[in-house]
Amino acid sequence: MVGKKVILLRWIWLLPAVLCTPVFAAEECYTAAATGGAVTFRVMQAGAPYTGTFRSFSGEVCFTQGRITRIDAALDPASVDTGLPELDAALKEKDFFALREYPRVTFVSTSVQSQGDTHTAHGTLEIKGNRREVEIVLRSQPADGKISVSGSLVLDRLQYGIGAGEWTNTKWLGAEVKLDIRATLSRKQ
Amino acid sequence: MAKFRNSEESYGILAQVLHWCVAMLIFVQLPLGVYAANLPVSLARLQWLSYHKSIGITILVLALARLAWRWIDAPPALPDTMALWERRAAHAVHWALYVVPVLAMLAGWLYASAAGLSVNWFGILLIPDLVAKNAELAPLFKALHHGLVGVLVLLLIGHVGAAARHAFLVRDNIVQRMLPAAWWGKK
Repeated sequence: MVGKKVILLRWIWLLPAVLCTPVFAAEECYTAAATGGAVTFRVMQAGAPYTGTFRSFSGEVCFTQGRITRIDAALDPASVDTGLPELDAALKEKDFFALREYPRVTFVSTSVQSQGDTHTAHGTLEIKGNRREVEIVLRSQPADGKISVSGSLVLDRLQYGIGAGEWTNTKWLGAEVKLDIRATLSRKQ
Repeated sequence: MAKFRNSEESYGILAQVLHWCVAMLIFVQLPLGVYAANLPVSLARLQWLSYHKSIGITILVLALARLAWRWIDAPPALPDTMALWERRAAHAVHWALYVVPVLAMLAGWLYASAAGLSVNWFGILLIPDLVAKNAELAPLFKALHHGLVGVLVLLLIGHVGAAARHAFLVRDNIVQRMLPAAWWGKK
């Protein structure tokens, strides 16, 4: 313990430099616009691919010199749109998203590696109270002063309790769910 | 020996086998569709509707095979003992029974496609969609499917009713032409 304190003191002269860093390498944060994006999912039903969309999500992505430093995103499972109202209603119930207890799906990055316009984000995905470490590969592209971001993620719905009870039958409802993410980011005011 | 092709007196083996296969499948298909469509969203509904769609594809293929075979091998002519109006009605209902199941099936396929619920034939073969997923079109195809199935049910009532009339009231050999006995009894 004494040793650690000594080391801290030895480096304390760096503190002003650390505090001033943002001045030299400012972090620019962007928010995902409500329009101009979607999160679509693809899952196998009775041996055939099925797709649906989540219309509402929000998020903040911070860049430092073109590299993503932080992603903090949330999705509203209540905005699910499969085109079949009956199915949308069923997806909000306890066997699937259990909206009353878990109104949001969240992703918070722990580390992001950026290489040009490709960003590999590691972070915690929380769905229905189940947290898992996941990797999401995103691509960013400047678009009219905004940034368009797209990426995808494959997950096992059973790890998150999506499709409980009889729906754990993966012959009829595939375990693998592919999410495609498209978002338009605007500079945070 | 049983005759593979149709003769002047009766339908041959192929026409009979196709007729009875389609008949059996349609009599399974109708209650299955009604039952499954009225289930709440559940695994059972997914399973039964999946079987309904697979059977539908099967009926479509068999119905087209029947049409093709009818074109290749002319069916036995209706006897002169039947009045002209009876023969005309029989022909009209027969043709409708070739066409309406095909249309009903296609409407079901269009509905499944527009609803985004593509068909995998008995888990063996992924069937392509006829149209892209479209939430506005789906209810229209659904209504069309139901309407055509309604017409099919009326046609079946007419067809089965007429067959019963020939078998039990008129007592001619019309029904026997589509029964195996027609060629079992003969050398």
